[in-house]
Amino acid sequence: MKILCCPACRGDLSLEPVREDGREVLEGTLHCSKCKRSYPVRDGIPDLLLG
Amino acid sequence: MGKRKGAHEGSVDVKKVVRERYGEIARTSQSCCAPPKGPTCGCGAAPAGISRAVGYSEEELKSLPEGADLGLGCGNPVALASLKRGETVVDLGSGAGIDCFLAAEKVGPAGKVIGVDMTPDMLDKARGNARKGRRKNVEFRLGEIENLPVADASADAVISNCVINLSTDKERVFREVFRVLRPGGRLMVSDIVLKAPLPPAVLESVDAYVGCIAGAALRRQYLAAIRAAGFRDLRVLGETAYPIDLTDGAVRSFLEQVPIGMDELRKVASTIISIKVEAKKPLK
Repeated sequence: MKILCCPACRGDLSLEPVREDGREVLEGTLHCSKCKRSYPVRDGIPDLLLG
Repeated sequence: MGKRKGAHEGSVDVKKVVRERYGEIARTSQSCCAPPKGPTCGCGAAPAGISRAVGYSEEELKSLPEGADLGLGCGNPVALASLKRGETVVDLGSGAGIDCFLAAEKVGPAGKVIGVDMTPDMLDKARGNARKGRRKNVEFRLGEIENLPVADASADAVISNCVINLSTDKERVFREVFRVLRPGGRLMVSDIVLKAPLPPAVLESVDAYVGCIAGAALRRQYLAAIRAAGFRDLRVLGETAYPIDLTDGAVRSFLEQVPIGMDELRKVASTIISIKVEAKKPLK
């Protein structure tokens, strides 16, 4: 998580898990603390594509 | 890289086409960057054959989870990258994950490898491969190399294998790489560049774009873009002719779509080279 950042504004992201498998979040949402954008996590892969 | 007229003028559309084509390759495990009826990295052989030809060792290929090697690369940056235990590595355009998995072996459990790719189908495949190989130090993210979802100064090395040529904004990609590298960090990239401009007919072909050719920059512009991003100690570690097989079926069908003759195609082929470049982000 420390290495991850918002691709739009480079803000820090926080993770809201929905479904986890042990130590890994399979489904969830990443929230940017700066620009308030959110990005889905699907099947363990964060979708950080812009628009 | 300057404005050019052609298939890649509308960058959003090119991005979409590239994503669709590479998604199709991921789903069908085609062996080449060439779409079914397009051009051509000249690689009509099976993936392992291509990968051996571009410099991966037998041992490296054997260590990969099955399906990680789609034979889409044009050189092996990992062999060059002199990755060390504990390092953090970002792979731009990680595809099905071949370089990520090889890099993961090198950096070991204390290190980390992050693969970024904009094609969901490729990442699904990479993730499946990571599970098969039980790799814990590899992560994949859906993202654009022009807008890396990677924090400033967080990587020791950024690697990329035959991908930046597909970007319509290469200057921006190199600026992003510079940003995410730690001071003293390094870029190790292998890519397709041109020794001379392409004829307009080739430049205008979207198929040539996704086949890694029409999007390729001139060699000097490519290197200038790396320097302009702030990199220093730039070294060209290798330069090889790009193996376009003029007898290949994909090349023939490309010729049917793009109105240039065999002689001109041969001339075009001779201007395309695969280049390996290393550059450093200064400490201060």
